Amino acid sequence: MPIYDQTYRKYEARGPMRSVRFWPITREALRLLLAKKAFLALWAACWLPFIGFVIYLWGVTQFAQAPQVAEMLPSGAQVFGRYFHFQILLVFILSTFGGAGLIANDLRTGGILVYLSRPLTRRDYVAGKLGVLLGLDLSVTLVPALLLYLVALGLAPDRYLVWSLAYVPLAITAYALTLSLSASLLLLAISALSRSARVAGIGFFGLIIALDIVRGVVGAIYRWPGAILLSLQANVQAIDNALFGIEERAYSIHWAYPAVVLTVLGLACLLILRTRVRAVEIVR
Amino acid sequence: MAEMTAAALVEFQDLAVSYGPVQALVSVSGAFLPGPTGLLGPNGAGKTTLLKTLLGFLTPDAGRISAFGLDPISQPLEVRRRIGYMPEVDCHLPGMTASAFVAFAGELSGMPRDEAISRAHEVLYYVGLGEARYRTVDTYSTGMKQRVKLAQALVHDPDLLLLDEPTNGLDPEGRTEMLDLIRDISARRQMSLILCSHLLRDVEAVCENVIVFNLGKVAAQGAIAELTGPRRSVFEVRVKGDPAGFLTDLKDHGCEWTEGEDGYRVFLTDGQGPELLFRTARECGVQVRHLRPGTQSLEDVFLSALGHQVQA
Repeated sequence: MPIYDQTYRKYEARGPMRSVRFWPITREALRLLLAKKAFLALWAACWLPFIGFVIYLWGVTQFAQAPQVAEMLPSGAQVFGRYFHFQILLVFILSTFGGAGLIANDLRTGGILVYLSRPLTRRDYVAGKLGVLLGLDLSVTLVPALLLYLVALGLAPDRYLVWSLAYVPLAITAYALTLSLSASLLLLAISALSRSARVAGIGFFGLIIALDIVRGVVGAIYRWPGAILLSLQANVQAIDNALFGIEERAYSIHWAYPAVVLTVLGLACLLILRTRVRAVEIVR
Repeated sequence: MAEMTAAALVEFQDLAVSYGPVQALVSVSGAFLPGPTGLLGPNGAGKTTLLKTLLGFLTPDAGRISAFGLDPISQPLEVRRRIGYMPEVDCHLPGMTASAFVAFAGELSGMPRDEAISRAHEVLYYVGLGEARYRTVDTYSTGMKQRVKLAQALVHDPDLLLLDEPTNGLDPEGRTEMLDLIRDISARRQMSLILCSHLLRDVEAVCENVIVFNLGKVAAQGAIAELTGPRRSVFEVRVKGDPAGFLTDLKDHGCEWTEGEDGYRVFLTDGQGPELLFRTARECGVQVRHLRPGTQSLEDVFLSALGHQVQA
């Protein structure tokens, strides 16, 4: 029997075009990622600092006397800022493993044509891929930090349930978005420049480390506080310090400078994405 | 042209597209009618550029193109929604099974998730991958990858199917099966399709109409039956004796010829008839042992359109 004796139904139920067209891209990529046990383990590992901070808060509030609690817990919103210090590197690692192949693999296997020949714009495609990384990164920054805030309110209401700290949820949201967007855009841009997930991953993580080393060397030689502007990690940490009131001598520069650097970096990444996705369409 | 374009699915008029300084399409005009149409031409002729312009990927420098009455430049999403595209290059998403991949393609085309999953299974059975649909596409052979590419183009039941070199990399048996499948899509499912290929036999096997591209221009277009139909001026001739003088004399009379497996195919000029062949044979001392009105093959049309002269 010829293979084509099998048939399929006619599909005539074309409805109006979806308004949120990027969602299937995000959902399917997340599904594939979370199906990998090793990746799930990595994601779970990113919650370890949260567990550590909860234990710390619980221990201090349970076992220390009232005056000691004040000494052992950082003042104001600093505890959340300190928590984010741990998350910066974890976010970079999680992004590397989760997102290095997002565009690179599509370029290598021609999968990008599957997207671009559909009723999707290039913006939908990039938004779908960005959604994957933002989803991952926010799940280990925004979600645990807000939970930590709730835990802090529950365990030490006299220290944290005060008007002066009412801005903390907003600060957490703003910082989690800053960190996640910076890492996601940079990684996507690097992924779009390569056809190999491995090269993109090494490129991204190598760039982060290399820039931090350059920042350290330049800062040490010239004693110039502006050296932090050379490093992505230092820029986001400077924003973190500014938002949560942490004072560190190495980060004494005004927060507006790192904010400008991160904005310019983000725009440059968007430009790369725009150019690369367009170029693929034409060259192929 | 006006008649031809009345029911055309796709029309293009004075279309010019360039990649920087390179002109890929030079003021081309034509139309794709409902049914199977072949898009022929050597590499770099402009076939894929036309398909990409039709999908709204490229913006023309001049001229206009329309599909289903829509402008692919200003309404690319509406146009792509009604088109299924099977690219020439390999295309799959790493780590995905065929069923997940085809369902995902359906969803990207705007289908609800449940419907897309259900149709993915049907379409994979249709293209002959029913048993292998839960395997990841990365593990497929070239032939299976071609079929899954066809399935992802079919899943949303498009009004027009663009097939870019669908038999690339297939062995003879796989090629025959793929062509059978394409013929079935066109004949039984009444789906219009554009078969872009450099293989004349593939186009001849499937298509009713053809557009030949060369150097970014339309070199010939029309129904294959008309382009290759019987012509009084083409004859298959077999002679006994030394044919060299006979052929030289025919050339002197302005005729052209090609050598076949068993004789010659002689192209007479307008106003000439078979009596010229008999007269020339008599003058050259050869006997005409076989004479039959011939038909132009698609290859003749193709070569002629490309400016390759038959031997003269």
